[in-house]
Amino acid sequence: MGTKKWLAGAAGLIAGALALSACTPTPQASQPGLSTASVATVAWNQAYYSNNGNTSFGNATANNNILYMTNDAFNYYDKDLKLVPNTSFGTYEKIADTPLTVKQTLADTAVWSDGVPVSPADLLLNYAAQSGLYNNYEAKTDAETGDVGGENKGTKVFFNASSANFALITKFPVIDGKTITYEYSKPFVDWDKFPIQTGVPAHVVGKRALGIDDPTQAADAVVKAFQDKDNASLAKISNVWNSDFNFKTMPADKELVVGNGPYTITDLKEEQYVTLSKNANYKGSHVPTIDTITVRIIPDAQASVQALQNGEVLATQPQATADILKQMQALQNTTVLNATGATYEHVDMAQNNKGPFDADTYGGDEAKANKVRQAFLYTIPRQQIIDNIIKPLNPDAAIRNAFDVVPGSPNYEANVEAIGMKAKYAEGPSVDKAKALLDEVGVKPTVRFLYASNNTRRQQEFQLIKESAEKAGFTVQDKGNENWGPMLQDTSKYDAALFGWQSTSTGVTSLDANYRTKGTNNFYGYSSKTVDGLLDQLQSEFDVAKQNELVNQVGVELVNDAFSITIFQFPEPTAVSNRLQNVSSIALAPTLFWNFWEWKLA
Amino acid sequence: MLRFIARRLAIAIGLLLVLSLLIYWLLDIAMDPLDDLRTSPALNRDQLIELRVQSLGLDQPWYQRYFTWLTNFVRGDFGVAWRTGQRVNDLLGGAALTSIQLVFAATMIALILGVTIGLLSALRQYTTFDYAITFMSFVLYALPIFWVAVLLKQYLAIGVNDYLNNPVLNWPAVIILSVVSGLFWAGAIAVGLKRQAIVFGCAFAVTLGSLVYILTSDWLQNPRIGVVGVAVIGLAVAYAVTLIFSGINNRRALYAALTTAVVGVISYIGLQWLFYYVPMSELWMIGLLVVAVAIACLIGWLWGGPDRAVSMRGAAVVAVLISVVVYVDRVLQGWQIYMNASAINRRPVATIGSQTPNLGGDFWITQLDKWTHLLLPTIALVLISFAGYTRYQRGSMLEVMNQDYIRTARAKGLSERLVIVRHALRNALLPLASIVPVDFITMIGGAVITETIFNWAGMGRLFVTSLYGSEIDPVMAYIMITGALAMMANLVADFLYGILDPRIRVNA
Repeated sequence: MGTKKWLAGAAGLIAGALALSACTPTPQASQPGLSTASVATVAWNQAYYSNNGNTSFGNATANNNILYMTNDAFNYYDKDLKLVPNTSFGTYEKIADTPLTVKQTLADTAVWSDGVPVSPADLLLNYAAQSGLYNNYEAKTDAETGDVGGENKGTKVFFNASSANFALITKFPVIDGKTITYEYSKPFVDWDKFPIQTGVPAHVVGKRALGIDDPTQAADAVVKAFQDKDNASLAKISNVWNSDFNFKTMPADKELVVGNGPYTITDLKEEQYVTLSKNANYKGSHVPTIDTITVRIIPDAQASVQALQNGEVLATQPQATADILKQMQALQNTTVLNATGATYEHVDMAQNNKGPFDADTYGGDEAKANKVRQAFLYTIPRQQIIDNIIKPLNPDAAIRNAFDVVPGSPNYEANVEAIGMKAKYAEGPSVDKAKALLDEVGVKPTVRFLYASNNTRRQQEFQLIKESAEKAGFTVQDKGNENWGPMLQDTSKYDAALFGWQSTSTGVTSLDANYRTKGTNNFYGYSSKTVDGLLDQLQSEFDVAKQNELVNQVGVELVNDAFSITIFQFPEPTAVSNRLQNVSSIALAPTLFWNFWEWKLA
Repeated sequence: MLRFIARRLAIAIGLLLVLSLLIYWLLDIAMDPLDDLRTSPALNRDQLIELRVQSLGLDQPWYQRYFTWLTNFVRGDFGVAWRTGQRVNDLLGGAALTSIQLVFAATMIALILGVTIGLLSALRQYTTFDYAITFMSFVLYALPIFWVAVLLKQYLAIGVNDYLNNPVLNWPAVIILSVVSGLFWAGAIAVGLKRQAIVFGCAFAVTLGSLVYILTSDWLQNPRIGVVGVAVIGLAVAYAVTLIFSGINNRRALYAALTTAVVGVISYIGLQWLFYYVPMSELWMIGLLVVAVAIACLIGWLWGGPDRAVSMRGAAVVAVLISVVVYVDRVLQGWQIYMNASAINRRPVATIGSQTPNLGGDFWITQLDKWTHLLLPTIALVLISFAGYTRYQRGSMLEVMNQDYIRTARAKGLSERLVIVRHALRNALLPLASIVPVDFITMIGGAVITETIFNWAGMGRLFVTSLYGSEIDPVMAYIMITGALAMMANLVADFLYGILDPRIRVNA
């Protein structure tokens, strides 16, 4: 029997091993390399990919949220969507109305994270690159190679950007010390209606494009290149400006992540996360309390909610469905903020397609067409849509009763009061009124209804609208289409359309595209001399109170002409762990990041 | 043979060409790169649209763009993900690596588990054990991964993390687990009621004992295997490996395996000092493993005898397994530090991603971090894919066991171990050779759903985001790579089959 022998051998080995184990080193209780910084991790659904948020493709929320934290601006939107000046960065003022002249003065506390002061050269580069005035060829000429990221060779200058604001400044700005003065060739009333940032640093662009190491000289060389229209230099500058700042992993050259805000990017992992650490050179007033903010990229809503529950992220603003919201509300130690987003749902009607809403159908009798349009708008069950579809996502949801003013912004209540959409259509539907109007005209029209058929929410809205409209005597045809976007421009395919517009600022110039005769977004052939006149006035009216008055008047006209009806603001619930305090979200970008410097860890 | 490969390659290239043309055309119909601009209220929208149309060449017909893409592709330029301005070539590297990381461990584990359990199931055909395994594998086969993943996160990540911070022993759960373990082992290795009862008792007691020890001592807060653990596991491994590979009666093989185990335990202590003074890396790990295998082979060679190769093989397997145990032990030693790191905040099991941002720490901490992130997705993938392997292995094993040559082997008086390991298992593995390469390589194409749910930035994610963003270049690159790999996998499988089974001639 060898069993005993085996057991004895094994026991001996184990005893020996035990004795020897006294000789093994004890690992340290802590490690010097381990990070001890306080961290707030926030989920976002798209990866950061460009440090230049002003190119036509870099202009995305995923980038702009990060840039908002790594760069200061002359002003920012607060909780009530008011633009608040940030004087620790600089001041801006209008010094003349005709021609519109704007002066920006940088504060001494505005410094890039590499220690170089922010200079007017940075502002000039930002303006000149987006103005489109220096582009001397069209990308088209090179299209046969199919090379999208094509370089500008020789003296070909092409900045891949476009800005309605800067395009109007055709005269070269005047730089004097810390100030820069722009003169507009045409009045632009929204000149101060969006946050003014600096864009990428001119000294870095100068260094990379022109090979000048001294920051001041590099920045000056950039200014000079624009001033002299030195196309050879501008070609190099435009290449750097277009391409060098696009990266998804931490670049080897740290100069590419130079910013002038409270945080700087210290780590970037492709499609995984961006880490922002306090900027040691920051001298402005938005000094944050948390050492590090990490934005983790989590496209899947469900995953981000579970990550929140597991403490891996402290805040998330997922694309909400009723299930996700329920799940967020069930989480312990978590607050759900019922905010609204920047997009609003509305119904428009085509007036140029010989359909039921076109005067041509009634022998040019606009009054009859107007009545039919009114009748259709009366049948829209706005409150029912909100109760059935939106309330589960946002218990505080309410009807949006304004065309052009974001709910929650300073002028919203006054606008609602003035334009009368609320008074006229109320909660809807008013089937009797609709019937009466249709009887007056003596028609039972058929309405071809366009919406995004791949969007469940819009399918449900369509069903509610259809039911209600058919009670009043309309026949509603389902023209839902996945390809609804391009179809909008072709009103021969539909009579009414349900979709969302997104507001990007509190400015008033965007009205122009929507309502002017043949405006870019006026697909419907809507044409009103009164509205065109009001829009003309609005274009050159700098007084905010008078602007609001004009916006209200436009609204009144739109309601009278039964142009369209708004329904609701998209819900955008945010779940925040109780470990992270002072978080709230606003309807415009940068949503929940707007006051990141006030965030606190509990 | 060369002609066969050349012909297959030519066909593959032709197929890829047709595939690319077809997919490009379909994608061109399906994608609308201007979608987001059409509803933009921006004043300069027309300019933006114009810019995009020009930069993407949308004013050209699709076949012209396809041709441009094809010429670039052939030259090795996979194009640009235009929404982010990134070169597809750069994106592919990181994504493919992540996918392989995610899938490799899962496929290996699923394969080993699947084959073993399938084998046992076949040997115990029509017993309760067999029925239970069949039932379980069908249940697992039918589970949708997105659901399994969400449950795993809820219980194995969030639940376990909560438990770690507030440990309360759950007696019913512990006892149920112990009973299940007892039943499994009794069904798997014992025949006859009496033996089954003994195995059940032992397995139940061992499981219960270890669970209670783990949960009531501070082991969970400070987990380690320790030198004693390494010694016990080492001896057990040496015994088990000998039993399977050479039979316990081959004394030289047994001694070789045991010597390797003893050397392993002694070097454990030396290694602790090495790990203490020298910063480690992946390269070090591979080097140490090679050294361990070399030493084991030497030991096997020295014990020698007429069957040197058998001893060496057994010793090498023991060395690899002990190395893994030593590695795990060292990784676990960092547990306390890891748990208390500010980025972890005492919630170690992760639900998303492949690493914790800004963790810092040495090689061992990053390894531990990698494993806490790999844990859930690996379990999910194993649960789903091992069921298939089990069924496959069971079926082919049963077929082989009924062959004449098995009866002959038994009639010769060979031990049952030899009959199963040498004569049956080898032949039963043949059919697997044709599915495993295909499974493996298609998995590199990305476990799309798993990646999405566990938020891994692999090939699957690349494909889905590009598809949503109407970026044709990355989608095409993805299709071409997975297409090429799939064809290659089929080629490898055919080839492997021909080598393993001389009856099959590849020239045919």
